[in-house]
Amino acid sequence: MRNILYNTGYFLKEAKAIIKLNLLSNIFSLLSTGLIFFILTMVSSGWWISSQVVETIQGEAEVSVYFKEDIKNNDVMKLIEDIKTIAGVREVRLVDEDEAYSRMVEILGNEAKVLSYLDDNPFNPFIEVKIHLENMESVVKNLSHIKGIEQIRDNREALERLHSIAEVLKILGYLVVAAVAISTLVIISHIIRMGIYDNRDQINTLRLLGAPEMFIAFPFLLEGLMLTIGGGLLAATLSAFSLKYFYAQMAGPLPFIPLPPREALVGRLITLVILLSAIMGVTGSLFGLSSAKND
Amino acid sequence: MIEAKSVCLKYSDGTIALRNVDLQVEPGDMVYITGPSGSGKTSLLKLFMGVEYPTSGSLEVLGQPIAKGQASEIRQLRRSIGPVFQEFKLIKGRTALENVMLGMRFLDIPQRRLREDATTALVKVGLEHKILSLVENLSWGEGQRVAIARAVARQPLLILADEPTGNLDKDNALNILELLTSFKNRNTAVIITTHATHLLEGIKEGRLIHVDNGSIHQERLG
Repeated sequence: MRNILYNTGYFLKEAKAIIKLNLLSNIFSLLSTGLIFFILTMVSSGWWISSQVVETIQGEAEVSVYFKEDIKNNDVMKLIEDIKTIAGVREVRLVDEDEAYSRMVEILGNEAKVLSYLDDNPFNPFIEVKIHLENMESVVKNLSHIKGIEQIRDNREALERLHSIAEVLKILGYLVVAAVAISTLVIISHIIRMGIYDNRDQINTLRLLGAPEMFIAFPFLLEGLMLTIGGGLLAATLSAFSLKYFYAQMAGPLPFIPLPPREALVGRLITLVILLSAIMGVTGSLFGLSSAKND
Repeated sequence: MIEAKSVCLKYSDGTIALRNVDLQVEPGDMVYITGPSGSGKTSLLKLFMGVEYPTSGSLEVLGQPIAKGQASEIRQLRRSIGPVFQEFKLIKGRTALENVMLGMRFLDIPQRRLREDATTALVKVGLEHKILSLVENLSWGEGQRVAIARAVARQPLLILADEPTGNLDKDNALNILELLTSFKNRNTAVIITTHATHLLEGIKEGRLIHVDNGSIHQERLG
C-alpha cells in the first residue's frame, strides 16, 4: 500500500503512456462508455420523474363530488358534513365557481386566454374530497348512497396508468443497468487486455525484477478508471443539458405535471453515474487483468 | 547463497539443458560461466532467477528453494537479485534514469533516495551525461551500462549478468567485465556468463565454470 502511495505519480504517468499507446481505441472506448452511461442517466431520470409524479399524485388522491344545481346552500353544508363522516376521508371543502375557474386558468397557463372567449363562467361548484388512496373504492361507494349527489369523479384511472408507466420504467431501468454493466465490462476489459498485450515486454521485465502483481496491474486499473470516469463525466454533462432542455419544454405546455426540482435530479444523476462509472472501471479492469493473466 | 545439488533441467520439448549440476556460490564470490552457445549457461541463470525449475535435484538461491508452487516467494527473491539480461530489457520511451528507478520502485527504498541512488548508479557506470536520454537513443554499449546500473542500484545480494560482453569489441567487453567485477563485495556475489573465453585470460581472481552439453567443470582462477 505504501508503495502504491509513493508511486502515484509513476502510476499516473504509466496510465497516460498506456492510453497514448492505443489513443484512438481509448478515445472510442471513452465515447462509447459515455454514451452508454448517458442512456442510463436518461432512463434513470425517466424512472425518478415518473416515481415522483406518481408519489405526488398519490398524496393528492381525491374525489370531486358534483351536486344538483338546484340544491340550497344549507343542504350543501349538510352534504359536506355527511361526507366528512365517511371512513377514509381526510378533508372536505367546497370549491365554488370562481375558484374552479381560477384553478383552470392556472392549469392552462399561457393557453388560459381561451376562457376569455366565453361569456359566462362555465365551471360548476363542487365538493373536493381528499381521501386516503387505499380507501378510494369504499369512499366512492359510500358517496354514491348520499342523496343530492349528481356525479362523482375520481382520479383512480389516471393514478393507475401512471403507476403502471412507472413500473414499466422501473423494469426498463433494471434492464438498462444490466446492459450498461455488461457492455462497460466488455469494453473496459477488452481495452485493458489490449494494453497488457502491447506492454507485455515491460510486464515481463517487471516480473523478472520481482515487481508485485499489484504494482504491475495498478496503471491498468487506473486506465480503466480514467476511461469510465471520463465517460461518466461526459454522460453527466450531456444529461445536465438534456434535462435543462426537457424541463424548459415541460414548463410551457405541461405545467401541471409535478416534476421534481431539476438541480436535485441532476445532482442525484451525477452522483449515480460517477459512482457507477468508478465501480465499472475497477471491475472491468480487474476482469481484463484476470483474463489476460489466464491467457 | 546458491546451493545446487544434482540439478537437472529438461525442457518440455525433451531438450536436456542441464545434467546433475552441483554448485555452491558464497557471498562475495565472483563466478564466470563460460561455454559455447546452447551449452546451458543461460538455462543455469534462468534457474537462479526462478524462471525455470529443476526437473530433478534441489536448488536454493538466497535460502529460497526454487521449485513449483513457490511463485510468490520467488517473486520476493528476485527483489534481492540484480539481473543484467542478454537483450537488456530496457523500457522504451523512458529515460535511462527512469529505467533505473523503475527497477527500484517496488523495493523498500525510501522515496527521497530513489532518484539519488539511481543517479549514483548511472554515474558509476559512466553515464552521467546520458541520465535523461531516452534509452532508444543510446548506443548498444550505453544501453548495456543502463542495464547494469539498473541491476546494481537495487543493491542486490546477487548480480546475474547474461552474456554482457556479447556484441562488444574486446576493449569494451573488458571494460564491462571490469565494471561488473567492481560491484562484487563482501555481501554481493557476481555471476557472469560469456561464450568469449578469451576475455577471461587476464583475469586473476574468481571462479571459472565451464558448461558443456549441460554438465559443468569448475576451476579457480589465478
